[in-house]
Amino acid sequence: MSDTPHTSLYVRSANVAKRNRAGNTLRYLGLGAISLVLLFLAVLLWSILSRGVPAFYQYQAQIELFYDAETLDPDGTLDPEEIGSRSLRSGYERGIFADSLRATLEGNGINTEEFKDKDLSNLIYAANRRDVRDSVVENLDLLDQTVPFNVPIASPVTRYLSGELAGVDRSSMPPGIDRAQLDLIDQMVEAGLIEQKFRWNFFSNVYSQSGEIAGIGPALMGSAYMMLVVLVFSLIFGVAASIYLEEFAPKNRLTDFIEINIANLAAVPSIVFGILGAAILITLKNLGFGDSIRGTALMGGIVLSLMTLPTIVIATRAALKAVPPSIRDAALGVGASKIQTVFHHTLPLAAPGILTGTIIGIAQALGETAPLLLIGLSVSTGAELLSSPLTGGLLEQTQSMPTAVYLFSQNQDTPVREGLAQSAIIVMLVLLFALNLFAIILRRRFERRW
Amino acid sequence: MKDTTETDRAMSTQNDVKISAKGVQVYYDKNQAIKDVDVEIEGRTVTAFIGPSGCGKSTFLRCLNRMNDTISICRVEGDILIDGEDIYDPRVDPVQLRAKVGMVFQKPNPFPKSIYDNVAYGPKIHGLAKSKADLDDIVEKALRRGAIWDEVKDRLHAPGTGLSGGQQQRLCIARAVATEPEVLLMDEPCSALDPIATAQVEELIDELRSDYTVVIVTHSMQQAARVSQKTAFFHLGNLVEYGDTDKIFTNPEDPRTESYISGRIG
Repeated sequence: MSDTPHTSLYVRSANVAKRNRAGNTLRYLGLGAISLVLLFLAVLLWSILSRGVPAFYQYQAQIELFYDAETLDPDGTLDPEEIGSRSLRSGYERGIFADSLRATLEGNGINTEEFKDKDLSNLIYAANRRDVRDSVVENLDLLDQTVPFNVPIASPVTRYLSGELAGVDRSSMPPGIDRAQLDLIDQMVEAGLIEQKFRWNFFSNVYSQSGEIAGIGPALMGSAYMMLVVLVFSLIFGVAASIYLEEFAPKNRLTDFIEINIANLAAVPSIVFGILGAAILITLKNLGFGDSIRGTALMGGIVLSLMTLPTIVIATRAALKAVPPSIRDAALGVGASKIQTVFHHTLPLAAPGILTGTIIGIAQALGETAPLLLIGLSVSTGAELLSSPLTGGLLEQTQSMPTAVYLFSQNQDTPVREGLAQSAIIVMLVLLFALNLFAIILRRRFERRW
Repeated sequence: MKDTTETDRAMSTQNDVKISAKGVQVYYDKNQAIKDVDVEIEGRTVTAFIGPSGCGKSTFLRCLNRMNDTISICRVEGDILIDGEDIYDPRVDPVQLRAKVGMVFQKPNPFPKSIYDNVAYGPKIHGLAKSKADLDDIVEKALRRGAIWDEVKDRLHAPGTGLSGGQQQRLCIARAVATEPEVLLMDEPCSALDPIATAQVEELIDELRSDYTVVIVTHSMQQAARVSQKTAFFHLGNLVEYGDTDKIFTNPEDPRTESYISGRIG
């Protein structure tokens, strides 16, 4: 029948063996790559979680806080305004905290004679005017009362409690802390006066240089407001631009040019948008508007919108393109106008793709840092925003999550730099995962309809 | 069957001209797809366009409801009159034209909505129904006309895309007739269907003839012979021959027509 010699199927030919080897090599390379990626992911998560999660907990001392009327209101005015203004003079809160701590310790049978007031107040975070003065301003009945109170342990002592200072000799102790003080801390722990608590106020407090009371409240709100601005601006403009380009624009050189430039815009480094924002701010200042929108969520949102716009345009156009032309034909065929075809048929079918693209764009914007630093999202603590969260939302200076992480990571204090920065990162990652999950759920729901 | 079509054909010759095309040229950019076509299509008649692939029959069909407008490089010259009115006149809105000239496409393309919404969409946007009950009536009537009412009446709110191919195509026909058109254009409506579904659709086309002017593009000569009273043979953009279906299939005048129907070209 044929001249080719009979070959058995049981014998693997050299050619096939070679091809199999090539295939296996590729497979192992792929597996290796995936393992490497998983390893990096594990290292990343471990490094974030191992430092960030403990930083959510804080050592606090339970003291009996005595609101000393002689210090807070020496003239006996009982006038909240007077009390509120006079305390600006000096950090007298330290004295109140030191006295209260001493009284608490003596009450628990711990001898404090050898310690000066300063030694005691150095152990705790004793500079929080809000806790003492503002409480009294709000409620004058507190004067001369003794109230159980949890005060954060000072950050050097925190390092001792978490075991970091074990075996460190006297000369390299953090400033203001010596062995005798640490022994006192040991006694307090034994007496059950020091507890580790989840610091809920991390989510509501304003940013501060002091790690003991620093929080990400304004940063969270600033980011939320910015996402809102991004959503409104980039979704409206992005979808409108995409519909025009995809469904109405004639295909000519001009639209080609626009298309290429949108793709280019998506690749522009984010810091460039920051420079653009900064230039706008300078122009506004020169025009006499001052710093009115510097560092606000509105400004940040606009800059991030510019950055997100190309992503949304590209995703929306892809989603519109994916709608089968037969649907457009069908609608036009029964006499729908072009605009009806788009809004009744094409757009609803493209919605899952548009939503996914939008959420991915927003997630990208949520993590963007560089442009925000340039337009001043890191200059304010955000206290103004917190005092009027609804009315001041867009127009008060604030922070954002990534700039808060940046600020924490630049802090002098090691526990802040290594702990709180990671805690803020965890919060941000949780938000990002939530956004992505939301995108997936939305897409599933829309797709399941038919 | 043969006898009835004979008598029908005798009657059809008395029908008025519904669509009249004179000197129609169609260009895609620089390529001429239709060359100087003159044709007069009679009302209440099924007219079949046959011819090999790429001969321009679909292009010409899409000129009749200006679906070619959606292709930016497409240019149409000449006159196409429906009831004596030039449909390419600047005063004519293609949206209004397409309500009058319905279309059924090659691949069944129901909207990804419910069966009810598929049919109700056209009447809704054209404002044909004054109330919900009105709309219900229109939908039922259209589905009956599409010979699919009995199959879907219990699941009007099920998705249209869940029907079988043949049912989907009849749904599309129902959707097309729901806007009360006068002309129905069909672009190879059975090419994606199996023989049984094809037979059902063909039967339906035959019934539709009593109310509508039907123009059907088909690749199947048997189908043209079965459903049409008039046949036009297109070749390379030219209308080679146009006449009674009987005559085209039994005694064509042009040698190209004869070659095509006998299977030598195409």
